[in-house]
Amino acid sequence: MYHLDGTDILDELYYRKTFSVCPECLKRIPAIIEEDDGKIFMRKTCKEHGDFEDILSSSAKYYKWTHYQKKDKNGNVVWQFEKDGEANPPDCAADDRGCPYNCGLCNEHLSTCSLALIDLTNRCNFSCNFCYANIEQAGYWIEPSLEDIDRIMKHFRSKPIPPPAIMFTGGEPTVRKDFPEICKMAKDNGFQEVIVATNGYGFQRKNGGAEWTKRCRDMGLDTLYFQFDGINDATYEKTRGIKGLMKYKMRVIDNCRKAGFDSIVLVATIASGVTDIEIGNIIQFAINNVDIVRGITFQPVSLCGRISAEEMQELRITNADVIKEIEKQTGGKLSMENAWYPLSTITEFGRLIAYLADVEPAEFTCHPDCGFATYLAVDPDSGEMVPIMEYFDPLEVIDFANRFWEKIKHKEKKSIQFFENMLGDFGKTLDEGLNFLDKTQLRARFLLGVLQYMRKPGKLMEMFSRLLMNGDWESVSSFSYGTLLISSMHFQDAYNMDIERTKRCIVHFGVAMPDGTVKELPFCTMNTLHRSDIEKQVAKKITQKVRDEFDTTVGQARQDIELEIMPNGGTKEEEDDTDA
Amino acid sequence: MPEEVIENKDGLKVRKLAELKTTTAKELEDAMLKRVKYFKEQNEKKSGFNSSLQNTFFKAFSSVLDLKINVDKALGEENLKQVHKVIDNILLFGL
Repeated sequence: MYHLDGTDILDELYYRKTFSVCPECLKRIPAIIEEDDGKIFMRKTCKEHGDFEDILSSSAKYYKWTHYQKKDKNGNVVWQFEKDGEANPPDCAADDRGCPYNCGLCNEHLSTCSLALIDLTNRCNFSCNFCYANIEQAGYWIEPSLEDIDRIMKHFRSKPIPPPAIMFTGGEPTVRKDFPEICKMAKDNGFQEVIVATNGYGFQRKNGGAEWTKRCRDMGLDTLYFQFDGINDATYEKTRGIKGLMKYKMRVIDNCRKAGFDSIVLVATIASGVTDIEIGNIIQFAINNVDIVRGITFQPVSLCGRISAEEMQELRITNADVIKEIEKQTGGKLSMENAWYPLSTITEFGRLIAYLADVEPAEFTCHPDCGFATYLAVDPDSGEMVPIMEYFDPLEVIDFANRFWEKIKHKEKKSIQFFENMLGDFGKTLDEGLNFLDKTQLRARFLLGVLQYMRKPGKLMEMFSRLLMNGDWESVSSFSYGTLLISSMHFQDAYNMDIERTKRCIVHFGVAMPDGTVKELPFCTMNTLHRSDIEKQVAKKITQKVRDEFDTTVGQARQDIELEIMPNGGTKEEEDDTDA
Repeated sequence: MPEEVIENKDGLKVRKLAELKTTTAKELEDAMLKRVKYFKEQNEKKSGFNSSLQNTFFKAFSSVLDLKINVDKALGEENLKQVHKVIDNILLFGL
C-alpha cells in the first residue's frame, strides 16, 4: 500500500456523506460512512424504522488507501481509484425520487455496462437458502423466450459503448435445452466473451456431460462461472443443503477437461464462519487444476435472498475480511499490503489498450468498493505462484498509462483526416495509412514507457508486452493462460447500499418487458429493490408441464434429478466414491 | 489430499497453509507457450511479414528488458526516479 506522491496512509479519520435505503421500507435516506475503531461503518436513520449500522470494511487503512486522491498544486484531483465512466445515452429520465428508483437505465447513472446479464430461468436443481431465484418459492415461472433474449442482446449491443461480455444467470441456466443455441445467439450478436453462472448441472452429467460441454463450447460458450464453495461435502451441506456434492463438482471439472473446455472461474460465496475456512482450500484447488481453472471470485454473501437480517449480521463478511483471510491462509504471500487493487484501477489502461489495438473497450469504472483483484503468475525461479505486482510497479505503470491516455484520448474521437479533405476517397486510404503509422508509434512509445517499470524478465513479461501491443482477445487469452486471477466482489444489499456505488455499477441485468421494451438494471438495485416488481410483470404461470418436467423442452424428468440430488439433501450414490 | 491438510473439530478438511507452490508450474508454462505458438501461427497465416516483424520486436524487447533490469540495479533508487522522469517526458513529448 503506497501512494504515488509519497504520502503516508492518512491518520485522519475517514468521513463521507452519501445516500442509502432503509432496509425495512427501502426508502432513500441519508447515510454517513465513517471510521470507527479501525473499521469503516455505514450509519443511517429512517424516520419510521430507526437507526441502522453496518460494517463496510474491516480495514479502515485499506479503505482509505483506495479512496485516496492525489491533487496538484491547484487542488485538482490528478489521481484516484474512483473513475468517471463513459455513460451511454440513458434509456429513461430520472424523476424526483432520485437514484436508485428510476432504474432502466436513468440519466443519473455514471458508468456504461461492461458485463450484461440475462436471467435465463428461475428453475434450479438446487434450493439454496440465500438465493433469490427459486420457482417453488416464487410461485411463478420466469423464462424469457429466444425472441426476448435476442431483443435483450440487441439492446446491449446497440449501445455506443456496448458490453463485450455477457453472462447467463438464473436459476440454473443449463436446465434449458436450448442453452447451446443461446450461446450461439450471443456470439452472433457480437459478444466476445460468453459466460454462464452455473452450479454445474448441465456439465456434470455422467452420460453425455463431456459431449454436452463440448457442444456448448463449439456453440460459443467461453467461460464457466462455476459455483464452488470449497472442497468439503460438509461445506456444501451448509451452503446448499445438499449432501455429497463434491463428487458432482468434480464431475464438472472432469467433463470440462475431457471436452477441452479450459476456462473455468471458481465462484465461492463467502459467509463468516461457514465458507471463510475454505478460502485456502479453494486457492490450492485452483492451482492444482490450473490447466482449466483461470480464476477465482470470492463473493461475500449479500442479503438479497431468503435470509433473515439477524442471521445476515452474523454471516456478514466484507471484501477486506476476505483479503485478510487470504493473507492468513497463504502465510502472508498474498497480502493486503501489496497484492490487491480495486477493479477500477485499470480504467484508463483498458481504454488505451483498446484504442491502440482497435478493439472494443471494456469499461471498468465501477466504484472502488465494488471489488478487488490480483493476478498470480508462476515465478520461474521458485515454481511458486506470486502476485503479478512483483513483476512491475503497478501504480507507476497505471499512472504512466493515465497520463499517456490523457494526452491522446482526443484521437479516439477524431482520427487523422489530412488527405481526405484534399483528395476525397483516395485521400481516405492515405489517411488510413497515416493513422496506422501514428498508432504504431504510439504503441512503441507506450511499451517503452511501461518497460521502465518492469522488475523481472521472463516469458510472462513477453506475454504482457504482447498484450500491450496487440490488445486483442487472443493476447488476453494467451496472457491468462500463464496467470490465475483472484478477485473479491461484494454485491450490495439494503443494509450497506451506497448510492455512489450504485450509480457506478457496470454489471447490468437486461429484462425483456411485456410492452416490447428492454429494461437495463444495475445488479445491486435489481436484486435489492426492483426484482419482485419486475418479475411480477414478466412472470408466467407454472404449468403442469413445468412441474412435471425439470427441463421443459428436453423432457428431463424431475425424477431423474432426484436420483442425483434428493429433495432432503441426500444423494443416492453417496457411498460410492468410485462411480462419482 | 496432501499431508498439509488437517481435519478440524467439525470434521472439515482444512489446509494449514495454501503454499501456492504448483506442481503444474511446468505444465502451466507449456500451456501458455503452446497458446502463444498457436496465435503466432494464426498471425502468420494473416500476414507473414507482420508476424515475423512482431516476433523480432518481442525478441528484442526481451533482451532490452534483461539489460534494463541490470541497469536499474546499478543506478540505485533515487537516480532511477530521475531517469524515469526524463524518459517519461521524452515519451510523452509532442502527444
